[in-house]
Amino acid sequence: MEEQTITAGAAATATNEQFEPLILAFCCYWCAYAGADLAGTSRIQYPTNVRIIRVQCSGMVHPNLVIEALTKGADGVLMIGCHPGDCHYLEGNLRAKSRADAISLMLEDFALEPERFRLEWVSAAEGPRFAQVMTEMVEQIKKLGPSPFRAA
Amino acid sequence: MPVRLAEEWFAICGGCEVTILDIGEPLLDLLEKVNIVHMPVLMDHKLFGQTGEGTEMEIPEAEVGLIAGGIRSEEHRKLAQEMRKKCKTLIALGSCACYGGIPALANLYATEEILNKVYRESVTTETNGMPNVDIPAMTDRVYAVSEVVKVDVSLPGCPTTPEMVAGALTALLEGKPFPLPTKSVCDDCPTIREKKSVSTLKRRLEAPEFTPGQPLNQMRCLMEQGFLCLGPATRTGCGGSEGTPRCIRAYMPCEGCFGPLSEKANPMVDMMTALSTIGLDPKQISDRAATFNRFSGAGRLRPAPRR
Repeated sequence: MEEQTITAGAAATATNEQFEPLILAFCCYWCAYAGADLAGTSRIQYPTNVRIIRVQCSGMVHPNLVIEALTKGADGVLMIGCHPGDCHYLEGNLRAKSRADAISLMLEDFALEPERFRLEWVSAAEGPRFAQVMTEMVEQIKKLGPSPFRAA
Repeated sequence: MPVRLAEEWFAICGGCEVTILDIGEPLLDLLEKVNIVHMPVLMDHKLFGQTGEGTEMEIPEAEVGLIAGGIRSEEHRKLAQEMRKKCKTLIALGSCACYGGIPALANLYATEEILNKVYRESVTTETNGMPNVDIPAMTDRVYAVSEVVKVDVSLPGCPTTPEMVAGALTALLEGKPFPLPTKSVCDDCPTIREKKSVSTLKRRLEAPEFTPGQPLNQMRCLMEQGFLCLGPATRTGCGGSEGTPRCIRAYMPCEGCFGPLSEKANPMVDMMTALSTIGLDPKQISDRAATFNRFSGAGRLRPAPRR
């Protein structure tokens, strides 16, 4: 999705009375994105606040991308990969795990709530779980309120 | 006709004004070409007219305006706008003006919290309440000058270097632009890098390993020796024509006083990347946000979220 479309969405939701968060989900091609597909083809309902970005592997999501998203209008970021041991690239998701640790540290440094970032494992067969993760995340971010970087 | 120069200072220590004096002999040539019309540190030019007859703060017109210090009060904000109105070219002098500098570390706390600490809660303070007579209101946070008015030339550094001030003024007098270097301090650092490090962070007071008398390119990178050095995330240029960064010349790690690599760069992210590249654990650094943004807090540091 183009950056413009993403930020346009952010501006529109920020002015609404009812806070509708904008959440980015980096989904790996082999498991999480297929899981999202399954959730779709199975007609499972989940909130529309999530924008999915397909990446080849969760391990390729650089912390810079997550921080950039959170400081430029996203209220929450999800990083979703294959279950440990199931990675198509053998250990990409383990790399994602260690990156997630660094991201958590950086959220602290940027004075952001740690709940705004979440690392999850969803397999290609787990459509319902994908929908559940999305629902949980949206509820959590709604509780937290808009990102402080939105106003700035 | 000499070029008119106005200077104003806000939230600052005065070190950058000393830097102007520190230009040394080239200053004599420069002074022949400029006519200083307003400079609180040097001359008694009052803002409301010499006998206080004015109703608005006024600064005489000038071709070149220098502003040192970040914006902390409404008075500063007004004066910055007045400077912008009266000066054709505006120079932000020093890191406080460019990025908020040390005073901007206060951005980690809410204004209310700071006032309470200073005027009410501090053990050594006699509590006589908040001062409120003839004092301009504080801004909600420390701002860099460029966040309030348009700045034409930025000269970072804490303090900035005499060479840079002289260079910028000379360039402006000749009508040339004065771009800043875009590389990092590491690009100008002559020390040896092996891309791996000792695993524990050393205290700043410990001595690095080097042979006295040997040139710097015989010394190992200070970060790899375990000293936290902000070189990877800091703009170079402090070394001037000599090249080697100022602190490195004194066998000390970079403090980051030249600010981030670009306006949009994020020193916190850059430093985390640099630390992980050589295998230092960032968890060992207490107060990372303030350490990595020591001189660039305006717009980059915020109070922690309330729970």
